[in-house]
Amino acid sequence: MQLNPSEISDLIKKKIENFDLSAEAHTEGTVVSVTDGIVRVHGLSEAMQGEMLEFPGNTFGMALNLERDSVGAVVLGSYQHISEGDTVKCTGKILEVPVGEALLGRVVDALGNPIDGKGAIKTKETSPIEKIAPGVIARQSVDEPVQLGLKSIDAMIPVGRGQRELIIGDRQTGKTAIAIDAIINQKGTGIKCIYVAIGQKRSSIANVVRKLEEHGAMAHTIIVAASASESAALQFIAPYTGCSMGEFFRDRGEDALIIYDDLTKQAWAYRQVSLLLRRPPGREAYPGDVFYLHSRLLERASRINAAEVEKLTGGKVKGKTGSLTALPIIETQGGDVSAFVPTNVISITDGQIFLESDLFNSGIRPAVNAGLSVSRVGGAAQTKIIKKLGGGTRLDLAQYRELAAFAQFASDLDESTRKQIERGQRVTELMKQNQYSPMSVAQMAVSLFAANEGFLDNIEVNKVLDFEAALQSYMTSEHSKLMDNINATGDFSDEIKNGMLKAIQTFIKTHSW
Amino acid sequence: MSELATLARPYAAAVFKRAKETKSTEKWSKSLAFMSSVLSDEKISVLVDNPKVSSERLSTLMLDICQGQVDGEGANFLKLLVQNKRLDLASAIAKIFEEYKAESEGYVDVEVTTAYPFSKEEEKSFTSALEKTLSKKVHMNVTVDKSLIGGVLVRAGDRVIDGSIRGQLQHMQKALQ
Repeated sequence: MQLNPSEISDLIKKKIENFDLSAEAHTEGTVVSVTDGIVRVHGLSEAMQGEMLEFPGNTFGMALNLERDSVGAVVLGSYQHISEGDTVKCTGKILEVPVGEALLGRVVDALGNPIDGKGAIKTKETSPIEKIAPGVIARQSVDEPVQLGLKSIDAMIPVGRGQRELIIGDRQTGKTAIAIDAIINQKGTGIKCIYVAIGQKRSSIANVVRKLEEHGAMAHTIIVAASASESAALQFIAPYTGCSMGEFFRDRGEDALIIYDDLTKQAWAYRQVSLLLRRPPGREAYPGDVFYLHSRLLERASRINAAEVEKLTGGKVKGKTGSLTALPIIETQGGDVSAFVPTNVISITDGQIFLESDLFNSGIRPAVNAGLSVSRVGGAAQTKIIKKLGGGTRLDLAQYRELAAFAQFASDLDESTRKQIERGQRVTELMKQNQYSPMSVAQMAVSLFAANEGFLDNIEVNKVLDFEAALQSYMTSEHSKLMDNINATGDFSDEIKNGMLKAIQTFIKTHSW
Repeated sequence: MSELATLARPYAAAVFKRAKETKSTEKWSKSLAFMSSVLSDEKISVLVDNPKVSSERLSTLMLDICQGQVDGEGANFLKLLVQNKRLDLASAIAKIFEEYKAESEGYVDVEVTTAYPFSKEEEKSFTSALEKTLSKKVHMNVTVDKSLIGGVLVRAGDRVIDGSIRGQLQHMQKALQ
């Protein structure tokens, strides 16, 4: 016989001491039918919408449909042991999950139970999964950046703290890769990350965990996993669970980043639950409130002002703003962004990073389509130096795209057009970046500066990345002071500009690549 | 069960309104109870479900059985149920009718299960305590169940107040898990 950790006699003694012996009052109902995880319950006249219901065998459910004589509920977890005639108890609580610092570095399921085999999680607090987003008065505009560490995104589609930036694209276009790089790049910045995996293969989730561990990024990350084998109800609540865990940090004046991977699958899970609850189907068989499903979730990602943080912490944290940045992911079918769920989420978020399979297959990775991708609020949050240098990049690429299509047919081009195209080719090449190798602000600044000042124009297109790699290693070894200065201030002063100019000039003269 | 309640509600509401108009809620309560007990009989329910038995035969049969127990209006109600093929709702109608009656007369039917039979004083003080918590008059129906080990279990509609040793042990089992 083996003892469980919870069977230590001191613990048992404490539990008995704290045990509440008062008579327990609740409302009860009877199970009428169980079909595909949906339970109809007769009675429960005082049940609330979203209330946790207790079934026999330590199983819980959530009341979703309150009808005149019955309650429709979803079982959270396995429902095989529930049968007709079982009693169901109201708990009087909206579904709650544990929140807190102790969750960092852990992998939990949609109810906050650990699934990484590292023992119980010692959290003191719990938080309801459904909360109303902060009001207008509590908010502050986005003006601090979240560096994702990817040149193409940080330069052209910047993300600010508290922003909702959608990552959208077909399967196999590197959506998750961007998210993982973003998490890795938050190491040491104080931004806590939450990765919510919805409807994914267990193997993919294990892969993400391993990669994060390899890059030392698990220490600041919580992973909420509702894999494809888990019930639709759990897949549908997992994003709300993750959001509550992120709000814990936001409400304490810290910054958090949450990734929902992906909301298409959540919408599918919700469609399944809704259809089984016999709610009327609408477009693409989604229920009528599928827009609200995502809008109420993404609205909770926000930046709140110092006064609100002070109020929420009871005066313990002063003068600090809190933020929860959301990177929802949507998978499109055949590049169709005008399907129901993609259009909904595009309209809710503050911009999108659009990934294309054509670009991905032609070797441009990350496969960001610079023309269709936008960030509506990130510009205000961008670091000064990147803003200054990145503006040129966007323009170069836009002009290049316009000319490239036309230049395919014209054999001889005038000088300026040819230059424009060559610049575009090199910038496109420069925007390529390997996975798991996020760049600092200074590294990005150097690369962008080299392109802006025309240092790349005399380099063959297929040598651009070699040049960049050599330049970066030169800068880190020879000009670490300048780099540290850029990272610390983020300014684009004359001193920094001249420093970079001189450094690159000497590098070109003295080095080969 | 929940569907039955939805179907039975308009019948129960109609009967209750009529009963109030004619001030005969007690009489209706008795005849509805009788009807549901008749229809819960296995032989009768087989007959009701049998498609070979025509509705005329069924209604004369039902009226014969209920003779003396239901008055003219009650007989009309029975005929209506036969006509609408809703005889199986009788017990649900009776239940909802009792709920309406209890509500309008300002009392609640409470099922009390106790491990040991109450003494007279105990019953009195318990009733007054219950009336205080439920803020309504209480019609108690006491049963004794040794498996509670000790204490009482109160059931008023959906509401359950579990003050039994068995319930506390179950509660403790969960807390120690």
